[in-house]
Amino acid sequence: MTTLNTQHLRNYPTKPEKVYFYGTCLADSLFPDSGMDAIEFLEKQGVEVLYPQGQTCCGQPAYNSGFEDEAKAVALAQVAQFPLDIPIVIISGSCGGMMRHHYPDLLKGEPGIENFCERIFEFTEFLVNVLKIKLDDKGQPEKIALHTSCAARREMGVHITGQALIKQLDNVELVTHKYESECCGFGGTFSIKHGDISGEMVKDKSKNLLDADVVRYISADWGCMLNINGALEYQKKSLRGEHIASYLLKRTQDIEASIKENKQSALFKEAK
Amino acid sequence: MSSNSARSNILNKLKEQVSGADYTKLPNEVGYQYPTLSHQQHVAKFVGHLETNHAQVIKLKDSDIARVVVEQLKQRNISTIMTGKDTEASKLLTEIESDIAIEVYDFDLAADEPEHKENKERLFNDTPAGITSSCGAIAATGSIVLWPTINEPRSLSLVPPVHFVIVDADTMVQDFASLMKAQQWHDKLPTNALLISGPSKTADIQQTLAYGAHGPKELIVLLVNA
Amino acid sequence: MTSHINEPNESKYAKSARAFRGNVTRDLANDELRSNFRGAMDYLVDKRKNSFPSADELETLREQCKLIKQRCLLKLPHLLEQLETNLEANGIKVHWAETITEANEIIAQLITDKNGKTVVKGKSMVSEETALNDHLEAQNIECLESDMGEYIVQLAGQHPSHIIMPAIHQNKKQVADLFADNIDGFEHTTDVDALIGEGRRVLREKFCHADVGITGVNFAVAETGTLCLVENEGNGRMCTTVPNLHIAITGIEKVVEFLDDVPPLLSLLTRSATGQIISTYFNMISSPRKNGEKDGPEEVHLVLLDNGRSQAFADEELRQTLQCIRCGACMNHCPVYTRIGGHAYGTVYPGPIGKIVSPHMLGLEATNNLPTASSMCGACGEVCPVKIPIPKLLQRLRVESVKATTGKPEVMKGEGSGRKTIEAIIWKGWSLLHKHSILYNTSMWFATRLRKLMPNNIGVWTSVRTAPKLAPQTLHEKIKARQKLNTKKGDS
Repeated sequence: MTTLNTQHLRNYPTKPEKVYFYGTCLADSLFPDSGMDAIEFLEKQGVEVLYPQGQTCCGQPAYNSGFEDEAKAVALAQVAQFPLDIPIVIISGSCGGMMRHHYPDLLKGEPGIENFCERIFEFTEFLVNVLKIKLDDKGQPEKIALHTSCAARREMGVHITGQALIKQLDNVELVTHKYESECCGFGGTFSIKHGDISGEMVKDKSKNLLDADVVRYISADWGCMLNINGALEYQKKSLRGEHIASYLLKRTQDIEASIKENKQSALFKEAK
Repeated sequence: MSSNSARSNILNKLKEQVSGADYTKLPNEVGYQYPTLSHQQHVAKFVGHLETNHAQVIKLKDSDIARVVVEQLKQRNISTIMTGKDTEASKLLTEIESDIAIEVYDFDLAADEPEHKENKERLFNDTPAGITSSCGAIAATGSIVLWPTINEPRSLSLVPPVHFVIVDADTMVQDFASLMKAQQWHDKLPTNALLISGPSKTADIQQTLAYGAHGPKELIVLLVNA
Repeated sequence: MTSHINEPNESKYAKSARAFRGNVTRDLANDELRSNFRGAMDYLVDKRKNSFPSADELETLREQCKLIKQRCLLKLPHLLEQLETNLEANGIKVHWAETITEANEIIAQLITDKNGKTVVKGKSMVSEETALNDHLEAQNIECLESDMGEYIVQLAGQHPSHIIMPAIHQNKKQVADLFADNIDGFEHTTDVDALIGEGRRVLREKFCHADVGITGVNFAVAETGTLCLVENEGNGRMCTTVPNLHIAITGIEKVVEFLDDVPPLLSLLTRSATGQIISTYFNMISSPRKNGEKDGPEEVHLVLLDNGRSQAFADEELRQTLQCIRCGACMNHCPVYTRIGGHAYGTVYPGPIGKIVSPHMLGLEATNNLPTASSMCGACGEVCPVKIPIPKLLQRLRVESVKATTGKPEVMKGEGSGRKTIEAIIWKGWSLLHKHSILYNTSMWFATRLRKLMPNNIGVWTSVRTAPKLAPQTLHEKIKARQKLNTKKGDS
């Protein structure tokens, strides 16, 4: 595992014409709207987004459980979906970390791996360091907290880019919650295999977010949010987390325009 | 008792793994370049660290040592101090007129004879203070270097609850690495070499700092040439 | 030389490691323990942070120390030989032990050869590893811990719960109660100075009269034949100076090549452990007492212990485990350790380092629960002064734990012992599903359409959270639909 202070130094490309989009299995099955929002947001920045339908999962669940052969088979299948030499934007620091930092080891010797891993960009990282985005906050003033997944923080260093994006929103106050850098307890299969320890961790994380007295929290990782939102809902609290992609889209939209969009998305549903 | 088979088993297992290792192609180890400070800055750092660690530092002239020690002992209601044999401290303290009893560490701590056993008991139970010299000072960590000798045994700086140590600021260096180089430690180390950076302490009980765990409760540094 | 012990000590920690899950349940429910640990970890995390004001300096030192340890490991057998040669030339006798039983027997023999009856011990985690005290007590040799934290823990009949601060699981009220119950004449007080003063009084008498001092070793320098000890209390100096016989025990990985290797390692060790720029005492021993010297032991011995280290050494990736300098920073930053405390692990070394080193010492079979008891948050790897990639090693141990074995262990004892057929089948199925997007998309279609049938109760997950809810349509489907719509719009 690389650590933050290698500064995650990498050469960032200039703004590309098009990118691939990796939705992740959690977004795919549980939170597809955040994927749609991320794509829409990228398109609004003038980037064409390609979504290979053959993508499924980065393989991390099997990898972390010690089943490397199974993980490798799935990982190779993912790589094959992204043949063009263009950036792959992914809406999860956890899956991003898997693909960028663990694929080189897991898929050692396989052709094209180095190039593939070099093309992986986490969503906030892409916005800040490649698109060099400037956000125009059109929303109402509010206080929020930011929860960055451990992989996003320690493998990809993108708590920095996440914070940077929120700080660009003039009407949003970012509140630091207690033990901000402490794990929420998800850890994939850890939450099942050692559910008692995981349970205590998510109880503490949800309490710390509640104590921050914010109207919502934002994260770039659905694993964490599945965990934390689930706990908050169980505790019958109203606080919830949103994906940063959806949040940024919402904050930077014109109210009128968004009403139009909502009408259109209603049409989507009908058209389907 | 022979542990030869253990020795060869262990070494063989290890050697098997590194038999092809190329020791000429090892990566370059880069140390951190600390800023070079002036001697005065070194002294200030040295004193600062020691004081943070609850040592008392008294800057003084050689000629004042005996007088200051006697004062400090009197302040603490201590009337006995143990010195090494034929040391600068023993000379200075026996020369000065005072009602402080000077005892000399001139016995074998491990000796079995009854009279020597008494010495050990006395050292442990009836020696409120001891004084030693030192042979180096390290600014970066506020550490005093001792190479105990035949005349100034190791336990003299350890057992009495108050430890006076004479430190010459002229021996001060920036850090441990430069000290070892300057004094050529690689050539020959003594039986025991020590870095002492404060009075004994512990935070083992609910992370609360307490002084005088087993070593001296007080460290009084007599800093000359500062 | 025969063993006097009927039941090998190997099984004591293996037994308690197996009891991990029950231990966790017990300790998660102990509010006082949890509060003690939370307070202690917050304190240590803060202290460490304050001692590293420059990220540049920290990262340079970490990289340097990683390389130092890796070099010393690459040269390990040669350095051990050089260490032995130089120690023996200095008059320090060297003994080798493959197992903990061997180590205990060597030490017991050294003591009985000198008719030793009382031992004072400086802090030594390796002696905990061998369960030395039990072995000596069985031979009527009194073995008293002199480090304040170890003394407390010994009085309580417990084991250390942290490798640097053994009694970290107790608060001062508990210590006061313990002293009042066990020390004659002690008047109950929670004043820490008074408590420490009491410990000092009791142990001082022991230092004065003990026959033997036993300590660990922080760094063993091959170049000069020197044993280096790091401490704040002075008990290590007492144990290595007053009794006539000093026995040091350490793991084979503790040898460093050059004297020059010591300063950067020492700097990172004390700052990572307790946020101190240096420990109160740095004690360097290069020989027994020489002619004319008035104190110091006449005999000094070093016992070098393997106990599974050579197994870790034999695998290049797992060898990184041996880079550890035993600072404890990993456990101080671990969200799991903070909540379950040090005893729950059941192993001598708790926390993240415990998880990666115990499988080599005790076998994977007894310790299968340990590598999985991590959310892989990486807080440990981030602070490790010698850059051990702890999360990667945890993942690697999981691989070893579940792999299909052919019978003969290739990498480590107990490999494959964590493999469950049902789990292997599940992952095979998972892999098949996710390899073939047609299978995946089809099954997702069914899952989303039948989402209302998904249970609300999913075991441990739903004991503290609501169940996840499948979306009516997957992202794949939504995008497909959107593309269709755009095409339609484009056409019109």
